[in-house]
Amino acid sequence: MPSALADVEWDACVLEPRRDRELEAYVRRGLGVVPSSVAYFTPVPWVVHAMTAMSSAGSPMLHVDSVLADLVGLVVSQDNSCRYCFGVQRLMLRVHGVADARIAQLEQGFLDAEIDPHAKSALDFARRLSRAAPLVSASDTEALRASGWNAPAIRELAFHSVFNVFMNRLMTIAAIPFAPVESLADFWPIRIVAPVMRIAMRRRERRALARASQLPQERARGPWAYLVGALDGLSAARALRETLDAALASQALPKRAKALIFAVVARGLDEPLAVREAGELLAECGLTPDRADSILTHLGSRDLDPIENALVPFARGTIRGRPLQLQQRTRALLELLSPEQLIEAVAVSALANAVTRLGVVTQV
Amino acid sequence: MALAWGIALGVAGAGAVFAGLWLRARRSNALARTRLAAASAELERLEHAFARFAPMELVERVIASGVPTGGERKEVTVLFADLVGFTPLAESVDPSTLVRILNGYFERMSRAITAHQGHISTLIGDGILALFGAIETNPWQTDDAVRAALAMRAELAAYNAELASEGLPKLALGVGVHRGTGIAGLVGSPELMQFTIVGTVVTVAARVQTLTREHGVDILVTADVQRALDPRFALRALPPNMLKGISEPVSTFALLPD
Repeated sequence: MPSALADVEWDACVLEPRRDRELEAYVRRGLGVVPSSVAYFTPVPWVVHAMTAMSSAGSPMLHVDSVLADLVGLVVSQDNSCRYCFGVQRLMLRVHGVADARIAQLEQGFLDAEIDPHAKSALDFARRLSRAAPLVSASDTEALRASGWNAPAIRELAFHSVFNVFMNRLMTIAAIPFAPVESLADFWPIRIVAPVMRIAMRRRERRALARASQLPQERARGPWAYLVGALDGLSAARALRETLDAALASQALPKRAKALIFAVVARGLDEPLAVREAGELLAECGLTPDRADSILTHLGSRDLDPIENALVPFARGTIRGRPLQLQQRTRALLELLSPEQLIEAVAVSALANAVTRLGVVTQV
Repeated sequence: MALAWGIALGVAGAGAVFAGLWLRARRSNALARTRLAAASAELERLEHAFARFAPMELVERVIASGVPTGGERKEVTVLFADLVGFTPLAESVDPSTLVRILNGYFERMSRAITAHQGHISTLIGDGILALFGAIETNPWQTDDAVRAALAMRAELAAYNAELASEGLPKLALGVGVHRGTGIAGLVGSPELMQFTIVGTVVTVAARVQTLTREHGVDILVTADVQRALDPRFALRALPPNMLKGISEPVSTFALLPD
């Protein structure tokens, strides 16, 4: 059955895969398998850690069941035209035993597919959160409450949705090859081994839930504390804190360049909390509010170095757009950035798009 | 005995009729499901396609509950482009060549505009009305519009080289860019409706475009654009002009080469 995204244009990948046994072992412990995409990000380990830690396997969910989580992944990936992630979600739904006809129905007509109101409200919310046109607001969370979602469940759903935004951006901006995943999703023996895979997944989920621990109060502090704090009680809080800290501590790109990426995305989406947070980060990096504002107003400045001057408009391009456009902009950075810098630029842009859209958790 | 056979045959006949009806209903249900799936898929594709011409939220609203009649006040940047000397050109080449030249022109201009986050609202003859910041909130709308104008200039230069190689006349462009508040909404008749901006902001952009001939330049921006624009763009101030339908004189700036 051809993928619903079969017509989406996709450029050749700009990154070279590089295997790293230690990181692969980490991913296998978390996810049970090592996705083909991992090898493209190993030069910057925090990216691989984030892919695993923020996933539903790394941050086990208490309120959103695994089939619904994969449905969220399916509709968000479809909306973002991410062929890689869409293939993964189709594969996961088959592993969960969802019939091909049902998957086709969901792919082809989410608007009219027969979905129970509880799940449909979640899928609607996830899609609106991902689109951010406009940003989701309290009225969207009210609609969820009316369908029976409570506050912690909404926060978990929001986190899972933006995790998909993160993965979609990561795979799309870097043009990670989707063929291995797409062909696996359509490989018929998957249906035969699916029951065994389900048992293994359930076991892993139970172990992950047993291992999951609350983030100590003092660790909630730091950049984006308002988001980490709002996720209190969910394993997502720890995953987000660790990912943000690791992203900012990484040395591939200077901290100021990364802060600029966060600030551009926050301004582009007009999310006041993220704008304030990124502004504080820029101030820590020595940019006064006036200078920062001048850079962000015109997406560049003579004061910035060539890498920053390239990354600022690049970050803006990641907010919306079709895959091929995004991928061509990434290719244009190849002359200026090392592979490690390019991976970090892609991953920080993906993370900025995720955390900026996550602001709604403070309104639940 | 005969009665038993009769009953058996009757039951078998009724069973066959029932089975036939059931199979027919099943086939008809399957067909209906296939059609529904195809229609849903088409709807999904249309929703995505239309999101390039109108805000996604508006598209969703149209699908869910029909065409909304209200408008919304929005800060936008309007770019109005027109071919200079189009009428003599139209009279000097045959109709099929003219259409080919025009289509090539629109294709290149459209590429320049969409590459800079703009969208073409209307084509009026050889004129183009493009909007920036109308579909999605865009804090960089003015820089985008001016970058689009520069890209249009570059695209036209490349296109003119192609036309010259075929012995065809060159095209010349006039562009006016203005920023202001307009009313965004679905405008038109039930037969033809489009998402656009209406208001003085569009009128000023169109009138400023006509000033390009008077000042002998190809791209003019208003003072409202100049104030919002990245200072790295090179501009040359021109004397203010009175524009038809506008009470105050309008200051304009010529956009110099990149």
